[in-house]
Amino acid sequence: MEYSAFEMISYTGSRVLEDEKIVFVGTGLPIIAAMHAQLTHAPNLYMIYEAGSLAPILDFGMPLSVGDTRAARRACYLKGLCAVFELTQRGYSDYAFIGGAQIDMHGNLCSTLEGDVYEKPNVRFPGSGGAGAMAANCEKTIVIMALERRRFVKQVDYVTSIGFGDGSPDYRERAGVMGSGPYRVITQFALFGFDEETRRMKLLEVAPGKTVDDIKGMVEFELLVAPDVKEMAIPTEEDLRLLREVVDPEGYFLKRVTR
Amino acid sequence: MNETGSKIKNISKIKYEPKAAEYWGPTPDEARKKAVEKSKALKDKTTTLKEAVSRFVKDGINLGIGGFVNTRVPAAIIHEIIRHGARDLTLSFQSNSICNEWLAGAMIVDPDRVSIKRAELSWWGYEIIGIAPLLRYLNTNGMIELDDYTNYGMSVRFKAAAMGIPFIPVRDHGGSDMELTNKGKMVECPYSGRNVYIVPACHPDVGIVNVTASDVYGNARVMGAQCTCPEIALASTHTIITTERIIPTESIRTYPNLTEIPYPAVDAVVEQPFASYPGACYGNYWFDMDHLRYYRGICDEFRKTGNRDGLKKYFDEYIFSCETFDDFLEKIGYKTLRKLRAMDGGQPIIL
Repeated sequence: MEYSAFEMISYTGSRVLEDEKIVFVGTGLPIIAAMHAQLTHAPNLYMIYEAGSLAPILDFGMPLSVGDTRAARRACYLKGLCAVFELTQRGYSDYAFIGGAQIDMHGNLCSTLEGDVYEKPNVRFPGSGGAGAMAANCEKTIVIMALERRRFVKQVDYVTSIGFGDGSPDYRERAGVMGSGPYRVITQFALFGFDEETRRMKLLEVAPGKTVDDIKGMVEFELLVAPDVKEMAIPTEEDLRLLREVVDPEGYFLKRVTR
Repeated sequence: MNETGSKIKNISKIKYEPKAAEYWGPTPDEARKKAVEKSKALKDKTTTLKEAVSRFVKDGINLGIGGFVNTRVPAAIIHEIIRHGARDLTLSFQSNSICNEWLAGAMIVDPDRVSIKRAELSWWGYEIIGIAPLLRYLNTNGMIELDDYTNYGMSVRFKAAAMGIPFIPVRDHGGSDMELTNKGKMVECPYSGRNVYIVPACHPDVGIVNVTASDVYGNARVMGAQCTCPEIALASTHTIITTERIIPTESIRTYPNLTEIPYPAVDAVVEQPFASYPGACYGNYWFDMDHLRYYRGICDEFRKTGNRDGLKKYFDEYIFSCETFDDFLEKIGYKTLRKLRAMDGGQPIIL
């Protein structure tokens, strides 16, 4: 069955999430991935939404944003931003699930601006939002991005969300953050992890029809490649039914047109 | 505490002007003094938006904006502020959409009436609806100064102010470029000897918040996600709240645990149904995606063409030709408001 890039990303995001964990979700595909995981292999996975809810039951449908009032539906705990970020700082958020405009080989992300000068950038993005705090203090960071050379860059214009910094072993400790850092980078064509020794991005899986060289050509930096690169699993008919009919039936995110 | 740093400079390439270690609004001492000077009487604080805004909103203030992105935003108060006029504003908020974009639009239409000098913020945009065109326009043209934090950073800055402390240690910002560009500092923890980031308290001169329910004294309930509204109300030297409805004080006294904003922190209470429209208010109404898209489209057109006509027309029709927020709601129409009320789905609230 045919599937789209967004469906592949959502399905892969779901696969990466383990049961009995808490995932701090960003708007869009992270929510879809977490909802799919709950419906399949991770019924005891729960979400945090940054406006202040923990473990909602989304029976009014998929929240269109992390501040959507639907994200508060039948939660176990409903406070505000301080409460959920403090749960995170304390160690109760296992996964950060975020995006960005640019990423480098150590998993540092930019979602603030494009340009050279902070006071007058070429392009201004919305800013950190929750991402900077999630990347700092959720235990593991999962990143969702479109795999494009202009996004997988040698050096990001502005480090909004901390990864492994310059890759030195004590970068995160010196930064005063609590989480262990980047864990997976999910794209439509490849799944990446990070090398334990060098903290550099490493290719783990490629999508059917793509080669390791194809992926290398889509990133600006030198990519490490796992000795046993696997083919990415593709969503089954049932996975696609769940994504299209149960999780995002209106097609708010899954039917978006890519640039 | 010794000032130190992470290794961010090893990877940073951004050019920036370091910010002075100062508050962009009242200092903790000034804010404390204002609180002490206030009458603590349980007195009726109900008033109109016009009266509340003209009493507290002045040129040059730090305006603390409640809500979160499109949720429970104080749109009615912003609507009045635009008519009233306020120049050289410093905005402080975590994440917001229509409030900032309305103020920015007013600045483009008539900078002698409304202008934003700078913003201490985490995020400015519409989420699913798109980026904020006027933020992009103002910032890339160097027309406003920004000071970036995470959503936790801004929230906890209000919390520190609400706690009456001058700064607060956090576990984020360090190792990112925000460590270089914002007003926080990396210091050595006096207990562990390890690096910890501190951010300054944020006391707005005027905090604006929409709540689910309040009594006439300003004892307020915030149902659904509280965002950072209780903290902003307590941090601000003056707080204006709109409330979807006034409830009896007897209800407050029966369930005092449900009070999220205590009356001494509130200076003006305005009963205003749909006060977050076109944003959402849990238990009351969902957000109006069509109107947000409509206004955003006008702003994006301006950003791309530099032509102000669409913006002028929007402001004339929806803001300047209105005397009150109810006049604006009347233009939106009963059918739309009724539909948005149904789209909330009847989320449970306690009144």
